[in-house]
Amino acid sequence: MLISNTWSWWAAGFGIGLTALGLAWFKGRRLGVTGGFEDACSLLPEKSSSFTPSPSHWKLWFILGLPLGGFLANLSHPSWSWLYGRLDALVFGNFILKALWLLVGGFLIGFGARWAGGCTSGNSIMGISLGSKMSILATLAFLAAGIIVTNILFKVF
Amino acid sequence: MALKKIINRFKSSRNESKWPYVLFGVLFGYFLSKSRATDYDTIVDMFLCKEFQLYGVIGMAILVTSLGLFLMKRSRKPTFSGKPFDGDPLKWEPKRLVGAFLFGAGWALAGTCPGTSLTQLGEGKLIAIFTVIGILAGVWAYKRFMPGTSSKDQVC
Repeated sequence: MLISNTWSWWAAGFGIGLTALGLAWFKGRRLGVTGGFEDACSLLPEKSSSFTPSPSHWKLWFILGLPLGGFLANLSHPSWSWLYGRLDALVFGNFILKALWLLVGGFLIGFGARWAGGCTSGNSIMGISLGSKMSILATLAFLAAGIIVTNILFKVF
Repeated sequence: MALKKIINRFKSSRNESKWPYVLFGVLFGYFLSKSRATDYDTIVDMFLCKEFQLYGVIGMAILVTSLGLFLMKRSRKPTFSGKPFDGDPLKWEPKRLVGAFLFGAGWALAGTCPGTSLTQLGEGKLIAIFTVIGILAGVWAYKRFMPGTSSKDQVC
């Protein structure tokens, strides 16, 4: 059970909540991922970096743990592949198109998350738990845009 | 040369153990993977409102976190070290919703958010490397072309 299956919504959600609480209780930090990407940007060898890294780069260290967590969760049925679910059909199985698609999607994610003040973990989990009206509305906007775009992709085409 | 510069920048602010953070990252990635938030088809079905798994996951995470934060606030020792927890909510600014819409569109296109893109890499979904590069470029471009917002205006 611990390493083979995916979990029910309540078990996985409980784990995510405990992780956010652990980070808050033990380290006094707020859960968030996009800040780690900004830390990574602060390491770029630019002449004058406008990025201010988090204390001790803790956000970068935090997100460096994510791939290992994903690896451990799939230990019992590891699979390494370039396939990506229903997106493969959407891009006619074309690898380059798929790569470009994800680059554009990723760019919107990064740019939008900074603008919105946080991503799904920062705004939707931590922000809402802190009772922030901004985070609640940002999350509703995330979902609204996601629902619109996905319905266009899979219902119209 | 460039690599040395990167390493030096990384070293310059090392005064706290990084391992607890890595451990929390591993836990977060583990639970994200178990929740199926890293699966493109599950994200699509969430946005098509065909499956409610991820709405439940997010809802449960919020329930547990907000309850815990509430107890922390009420407790005499708010954190392990006794240092108060910075729980200031994000300042209300309507134009942030534009960014939130862009984020939502990207979430739907790539079928992943920042946390799950990195988790996907560890799961063996190698194509996620392009999402990760895209996110880095987006974060970088925001700072470059939309200056004026400091990192203090961020939840994370």
